[in-house]
This record gives sequence, C-alpha cells and structure tokens, in this order.
Amino acid sequence: MAEEFPVVGLDSAAREAVELLAVRRLPGLIVVDSKGEPHSVLPASQVVRFLVPSYVQDDPSLARVIDESLADQVADKLANVPVRRLLPSDPVELPVVNHDDTVLEVAAIMARLRCPLVAVMKGRKIIGAITASRLLELVVTPH
Amino acid sequence: MTVIAVVVFVVAYVLIATEWTHKLLAALGGAAVLLAFGVTDSEHAFYSQETGVDWNVIFLLLGMMIIVGVLRRTGVFEYVAIWAAKRAKGSPLRVMILLRLITAIASAFLDNVTTVLLIAPVTLLVCERLGVDPVPFLIAEVMASNIGGTATLIGDPPNIIIASRSGLTFNDFLIHLTPLVAIELAVFTLVLPRLFKGSFAVDPDKVHNVLRLNEREAIQDSRLLIKSGAVLLAVLIGFVGHALFHVEPAVVALLGAGLLVLISKVPTKDYMGSVEWQTLLFFAGLFVMVGALVKTGVIANLAEVVGDATGGRPLVAVMLILFVSAVLSGIVDNIPYVATMSPVVLELTKGVTNHAHAHALWWALAAGADFGGNATAVGASANVVVIGIALRAGYPISFWEFTRKGVVITAITILTAAPYLWLRYFVLS
Repeated sequence: MAEEFPVVGLDSAAREAVELLAVRRLPGLIVVDSKGEPHSVLPASQVVRFLVPSYVQDDPSLARVIDESLADQVADKLANVPVRRLLPSDPVELPVVNHDDTVLEVAAIMARLRCPLVAVMKGRKIIGAITASRLLELVVTPH
Repeated sequence: MTVIAVVVFVVAYVLIATEWTHKLLAALGGAAVLLAFGVTDSEHAFYSQETGVDWNVIFLLLGMMIIVGVLRRTGVFEYVAIWAAKRAKGSPLRVMILLRLITAIASAFLDNVTTVLLIAPVTLLVCERLGVDPVPFLIAEVMASNIGGTATLIGDPPNIIIASRSGLTFNDFLIHLTPLVAIELAVFTLVLPRLFKGSFAVDPDKVHNVLRLNEREAIQDSRLLIKSGAVLLAVLIGFVGHALFHVEPAVVALLGAGLLVLISKVPTKDYMGSVEWQTLLFFAGLFVMVGALVKTGVIANLAEVVGDATGGRPLVAVMLILFVSAVLSGIVDNIPYVATMSPVVLELTKGVTNHAHAHALWWALAAGADFGGNATAVGASANVVVIGIALRAGYPISFWEFTRKGVVITAITILTAAPYLWLRYFVLS
C-alpha cells in the first residue's frame, strides 16, 4: 500500500521544500534528520500556517485590510529559512506505520494525529508513505 | 481557626505569586481547605457579601465578557486603530501616541486583556509595514491599557472589587479617577520620546505601505456593529444612572449581555467562548479565602495595625496605601492584592469622619494597584499577554526590558497621583 514519496532534510531550504509541495501537489512532506531517519511529517497546512503572519492568525479580520500587492509578499518569509523553522514549535508524535500494518491501523494513526500523510517503515528504513487519498482509494476500491 | 485562615491564605498567596501551581488551583484549593476545616461555611462563603463570594463582581465581569465577546466580532476596534495609524501619516511617534490613546480609552470600557488582544495584532501589522521595531509600541500600549483601565468602575477588575466593597458608583469613578488618568496620559505622552528614544526612525519609502491599508475592510458586519454599539451605549447609560435607577452595575451588564445575545444572534459557543471561566472561579476562591480572614477578625486587626502605624492621620494612610499598593501590585497580581486590601480599607474608612478623606483611601488603593501593574512584566495579566503575542510574532520582550520601562512609568504615575490625591482631597476639599 506504500508509495514512493519525496523526503527532505531538517536543514534543507524551506523554499525548495515548499516548491516541491506545490509542483507535485503533495499533502505534506516527510522530514528526515541527518541520519536519514524520519523526524517528522510537514503537512502542507503547516506551511500555510507559517506563511500567515501571527497577527493575522490572532485577528483574521486584518487579512482583509492588507491589499493584494502587500499580501503577495508573504512568501518572502521562506527566504533563507531551513525546513526545521516550518515545523510546529511543540514536538508532535511522529506519524509512522510498519510496512505490514493493516489499513485500519494506518487509518487509526492518521485520524488520531490528524495527519494527511504517514511514513511507512521497514525496520529503521523509510520505504515510502501513505497519503490520506491513497488510503481512501484502498478503502473504497472493490477487492 | 484564625491560624488556619492565615496559614491557608499565606500559602495560597505564595503559590499564586510564584506560579508554582496554577492560580486557579491555589485559590479554589485554599477555599476548599477553609470549608473542610470549618473556618468558614456555606452560609458565610456563598450568601454573605462581607465574608463570601461577591456575586456583584462575578456577574459584572460575566456580563461584560459576553458583551465584549460580541463586540470584538464587529471589527470596529481594528477600523479605528488603522484609521488612526493612517492619520499619523507614517510618523512612528504619532502612531505610538494615537494607538496608545485608543488603547487607554478602550481599556476604560473593556477589560485590559481584551484591549491588548485587539490592539497588539494591529500594532504588529502597522509596525511591519513601517519597518520599525514593534516592541516599544507594544510596551507603551500595555502601559496605557493599565493606566486607562483605572479611569472607570469597569476598566479594571480591581476597580470592580473596590466599587462593590466601598459602594462607590460608576459616576464616582468618572468624577474622581478619570481626571487623574487624563493627567497621567498627558504626562506619559510627554515622556514617550525620551522613554523610547531611538525607536522612531522610519524609511520614508515605507510610509505608503501604511497608507495603503484599507480600514473599511475590517468591519465584518455593519448591522452587528450598529446593534452592539446601541447596546453598549445603553449599558453605559445604565452604569452612569445605576445609583439613580437603584440597579447594581452587575444587573446592568447582565441585562445588556442578554439583550445583545438576543438581537445579535451570535452562536452560543461564540459568546460563551469569550467568557474567562477560570478568572471567574479564581475570583470566587479568592473571595472565600479573604472572607475567612474577615470572619476570623484578621482583617479588622490588620486595619487596626495600619491605623496605628499612620497615627490615625488620613493623609499618611492615603500615601502609605498608594505607595505600598504600587510596589506590591508590581510583584503580585493586583486582583488578589485588592481583594485582600479592600476589607482593610473598608475598616480604615470607618474611623475617618471626613468623607473626602475616606474616599481618598479608596482612590489611593485603585491608583496604586492599577498603576503598579505596570512596574514589572508580571505585574498585570495584560503585560503577560502582550509579551506572549510579541514572542509568537518573533519579537521576544525580556522581563528586564519590560521592567526597566515599567518601573519608570510606575514611578512617574505614582508620583503624579500623590500630589493629585493630596491637593484634591486634603488641600482643596
């Protein structure tokens, strides 16, 4: 059920990681540490959250008072920033499953962690990932 | 019983001041121990205004929290703040003066934490557009909030407690404290350029970024704005006339909140979400603990000690309360401090025959406790909230960075309040 999936390092350039998300329309990225072991999953929604200024998150009505040309500058925040800066400040549980886990086990992890993507491990090696859409495809496809 | 009441109170106070446990746990835990040991009972804790939960305070806060919860959805505050920033034509000093003034005025009618929650995001936006450091602006605003909140009965929770204990009306606060706050804000404005020297340089090319902000877009629902404005006006009229109508401010606030909920059709979870239940329960626990001190005679003894220390001279007592309140409110939250001191001041006023002098004792407590909240980064809840917002936006404010400015402003405001109280209540009365 696992598919090949791109991974990025903690110190990779955030801009390149976000371009990867955008071009391939991925729900998220698997982030690995310097040893190549999974560190976290970076959901696309977390990147969007990073791009929105904290004052707009505190007071969403301010998003409307900013004109389009100023709003376009939000992506400037990605310049010279590593991927680790995009991750939530509080550590979250790593969404990983074993290669022989069932669909229900994978769904349970996704539901509990509210994550659109889980890394699939065989031993300490990442062999791929399962996205929420891939999981749903498996659920609804007649066997 | 007296020993248990004092020990429980001191332990709870230490826990609240040091934040070793959550303050709600300390207050409710203390109240529970007092009830369990029979130091107080349900009759005294829940039904006596002198020794129990002051429901006027609780329900006034509840009503105002609901009104503010609906009002903040209108976007009017953001509209006014951005409009003012544009009127400042990009001058950082003028922006600071205007935003600080708006904060002070809003704080007189809304609670301070709500006010800074509304003004801080707008400030970050304006400062980012101007390319200036927002930290001095945020510090100036939270200080203006603590000063402005002193102006009215509803501006700051300590004032609500003082009003309930003393029987002073909304108009008493307007007549006696609002002029003092106006003077304090004028003095604060004069010292701003020196206090935040070097914070007002701006790139002229960035000024137009502020002018391009569209404040009209901040108004989300103009019908809700009209309804909320009408109810708020009615509530303010109710406050001004509450002594005339023989209606407690708490009843005015609750009626206003009920009416606003009814006509605004805001979903229940939205306006109930704006009620700070933990704060209300914290107040309840505090009142039970302080009530136990009143019941066991500790407060009366403490008032006697203070009376003896001042030699029965009201002016000395006023100055002592003003300065001690300012110092202590900078160290511990001013809410538990005023909850404790109010019964003490009430006892002191019983020995003062001159009404003006008796009132001056209350105003000294209000000014000392409210202005004292500016002294340190933890002196008032609003300070902690603004520091948290600044940190999330990537502008950390250290304890000492805040306190260096806070001590100066507290000293200035207290040294301004002292001659005001002396002149108005002892020389000219």
